[in-house]
Amino acid sequence: MNQAQKGNNERQGRGAGVHTDEHILVCLSSSPSNAKIIHTAARMARAFNSRFTALFVENPNFETIPENIRRLRENQTLAKQLGAQVETVYGEDVAYQIAEFARLSGITKIVLGRSTAAQRSPLGKMMLTEQLSFYAPEIDIHIIPGGNASRIYRAVKAKNNHKAVIWKDAVSSIAFLCGATLLSLGFYRLGFTDANIIMVYILGVLLTSTVVSHQIYSLVSSIASVFIFNFLFTHPRFSFTAYETGYPVTFVVMFLTAYITGTFAIRYKEQAAQSAKIAYRTKILFDTNQLLSKAGNKAEILNAAAEQIMKLLGRTIVIFENENKGLSNPLFFPPDTAWDASYDLEKELETANWVLKNNHAAGAATDIMSDARYMYLAIRVGERVYGVVGVDLEKNPLDASEQSILLSILGECALALENEKNAREKEAAAIFAEGEQLRANMLRTISHDLRTPLTTISGNASNLISNVGSFDEETRKQIYTDIYDDAMWLINLVENLLYATRIEEGRMTLNTSTELLSDIVEDAMKHISRKADQRHLFVAYEDDMILVRADAKLVVQVIINIVDNAVKYTLPDSEITVTTRKNHDMAEIRIADSGNGISDEEKEKIFEKFYCGTNKIADNRRSLGLGLYLCKSIIIAHGGTICAKDNEPKGTAFVFTLPLEEVTLHE
Amino acid sequence: MSKFQILVVEDDAPVRNLITTTLKAHTYRFATAINGNDAVMETASYNPDVILLDLGLPDIDGVEVIRRIRSWSNVPIIVISARSEDNDKIDALDAGADDYLTKPFSVEELLARLRVTQRRLAQMQSAGGNQPVFVNGQLRIDYASGCAYLNGEEMHLTPIEYKLLCLLSQNAGKVLTHKFITQSVWGSSWENDIGSLRVFMATLRKKLEKVPGSPQYIQTHIGIGYRMLRIE
Repeated sequence: MNQAQKGNNERQGRGAGVHTDEHILVCLSSSPSNAKIIHTAARMARAFNSRFTALFVENPNFETIPENIRRLRENQTLAKQLGAQVETVYGEDVAYQIAEFARLSGITKIVLGRSTAAQRSPLGKMMLTEQLSFYAPEIDIHIIPGGNASRIYRAVKAKNNHKAVIWKDAVSSIAFLCGATLLSLGFYRLGFTDANIIMVYILGVLLTSTVVSHQIYSLVSSIASVFIFNFLFTHPRFSFTAYETGYPVTFVVMFLTAYITGTFAIRYKEQAAQSAKIAYRTKILFDTNQLLSKAGNKAEILNAAAEQIMKLLGRTIVIFENENKGLSNPLFFPPDTAWDASYDLEKELETANWVLKNNHAAGAATDIMSDARYMYLAIRVGERVYGVVGVDLEKNPLDASEQSILLSILGECALALENEKNAREKEAAAIFAEGEQLRANMLRTISHDLRTPLTTISGNASNLISNVGSFDEETRKQIYTDIYDDAMWLINLVENLLYATRIEEGRMTLNTSTELLSDIVEDAMKHISRKADQRHLFVAYEDDMILVRADAKLVVQVIINIVDNAVKYTLPDSEITVTTRKNHDMAEIRIADSGNGISDEEKEKIFEKFYCGTNKIADNRRSLGLGLYLCKSIIIAHGGTICAKDNEPKGTAFVFTLPLEEVTLHE
Repeated sequence: MSKFQILVVEDDAPVRNLITTTLKAHTYRFATAINGNDAVMETASYNPDVILLDLGLPDIDGVEVIRRIRSWSNVPIIVISARSEDNDKIDALDAGADDYLTKPFSVEELLARLRVTQRRLAQMQSAGGNQPVFVNGQLRIDYASGCAYLNGEEMHLTPIEYKLLCLLSQNAGKVLTHKFITQSVWGSSWENDIGSLRVFMATLRKKLEKVPGSPQYIQTHIGIGYRMLRIE
């Protein structure tokens, strides 16, 4: 191992405490003596203070015998309890798989049991240990003597006791043999040489191998082919003797060829099936990754994960979200629509809840609450449980590779959920921070803009208190008017501020009712006419029976703000007109002035918060820039629109809309 | 005018001073109270012609004060409240108040309200009891025959409009809440009826007022209700 890998391993130290460079691997099997090996390896890992991994190599021979599976699972659980990271790989060549894994994971020591070590590859004479040393020469190999079993343990191969399959295979073999024979007879008639006939039989055996499920059939077919060939086609025909001297060799070669091709054909078939399975599972993992990264919210994540798991395992999946330390309602994902919904809610929920609380697998095929029908696993990142997923085992447990992919998917799902949660919290924090910032800004601006008129009010008043005699009538009247104007300005400012803070805090709830538009306009006019004395104010209703659905007080404020603006930004003696009319299904209110107008770039900007225009303000008073922002918020909350347009021949027209209300009259 | 006695109930000293200064300047006689209990006692002993009642009193709710006073007196009550709350004004009016002022209010508004009340009192005193005929400016309502006349000409009113007109005229000078009006005329205070109320009021006013935008008889109080004004 080079320096980089060593360093990497150190950094990847998981769990508590720093690990040394050592990384110990123990090979799992379904052998009963494997337990002792695992214990030994664990002790070694502790002694070296190293990382500890347990590996199981699944190969095509390890078919589903409950005995084997149970023992393997026990061994896997044991390894986990002793602190190992359990992994599974697949492959035909066990030694190669172990070596590859070891190399990639930075294993420094491999621990085998003697029974495992003594396994030989089917054709080779080398023991597993020898193969391992060959593939990974730099890794230490430790062989532990077996426990009670003195005999070498061989994994019991699955007995194919499906009568139907045996029947089918036998028939296929015979059929191919007959076919080959018929064809050969034909060739013989045509005068082809022996070589062709031999080829036909070899072909027959090959074809047989591709359809049967066990090597025994190709073996029997090969032998049968030789005998039939002998019987039918060698001189003397229809006897089991052969005159020519080369024939025994021919028979042997023919048999060997047939058998070997047949065996390889079967082996190839199994490999292909295995690869297809792996490819499918890899695709599922890949798709899961894609789906989870695209998923937008918690529900989508859980849906995607559950669907992928269902696709992977072909069983009914039930998934729960962790809602405030309790389970949400279950979501079911059956593999097909014809699904028997026999879900014992109470018992299953109890199991699921247990998993949620204890962050540990439970249910069928586990040690805890194993009478449940489903197996439940926690969707978690470390100690944080985000949900629980249940797999319908229907009394068939999962195989090792299914289990490890399932765990992988769950891991990804948990990460996705955690990311989503973090993103949401971050957003909430950002919004909060923005709100705080806004409040800070507002306070700053407000205190500045309140101080100005308050200064003039208190100053003027104090002048009057001390020097009332020294001012003449004219000056005194001016002072009184200034105090009054400043106070009025403050009043309106405070109103606007109150509304504005309500918007910021999201408390801008409209209290709408059916209102007569002309009533609203009149009320607004009452509050304005004091200030607009020098302007010519006209009000015109196209239809004075327009009813709108609105919060009267707020719309009054809108009109006040807009007219105040018109007053502020126009010269004395200019005209301000307020008109109302119906426009399709909205009521339209138009407030136009004959001032200097607003440039096109500014028409959008004026509705922004704290925006003060670039125009010279007629009476030189600083504005907070809130008025139009407030108008826009209010009108939009009503479902209307507001905009500034140019007025003919000069000036600006503010136009806003409110939803019309139709009323059925009760007489 | 100078015999008119006003009770000012206001706990905030500057506001109270503002009101009393104004009253003094217009030669009204007045007494003051600074909380609800005092207000009730003063009403009993001082017997004012009108009460200016602030709704934000320290000891008991202003509406409660109104209810207590109303249990033995019909003295006109004008309530004063802050601008953004409509509900307390509506509650006060429903409990028996006659009119309201919104803070911040101008002195003209205060005086105008007082004048309205004065006119109403004068009318009630001179007429005394239920009148068969109601006269207000150019408006004349003959309750007995069920007709209304404007400038001598008969007005063509629908039954509902007539009912509304009568209700307002019998409470002339007093602000009537939407709820009060719909309950009196329709017998319920359904949200839908408020919409109808608006429409009927609008049509009534069109028939009653010559210039829209400057009502002479019926005044709209946004968010609160309507009032018929006494024309001098």
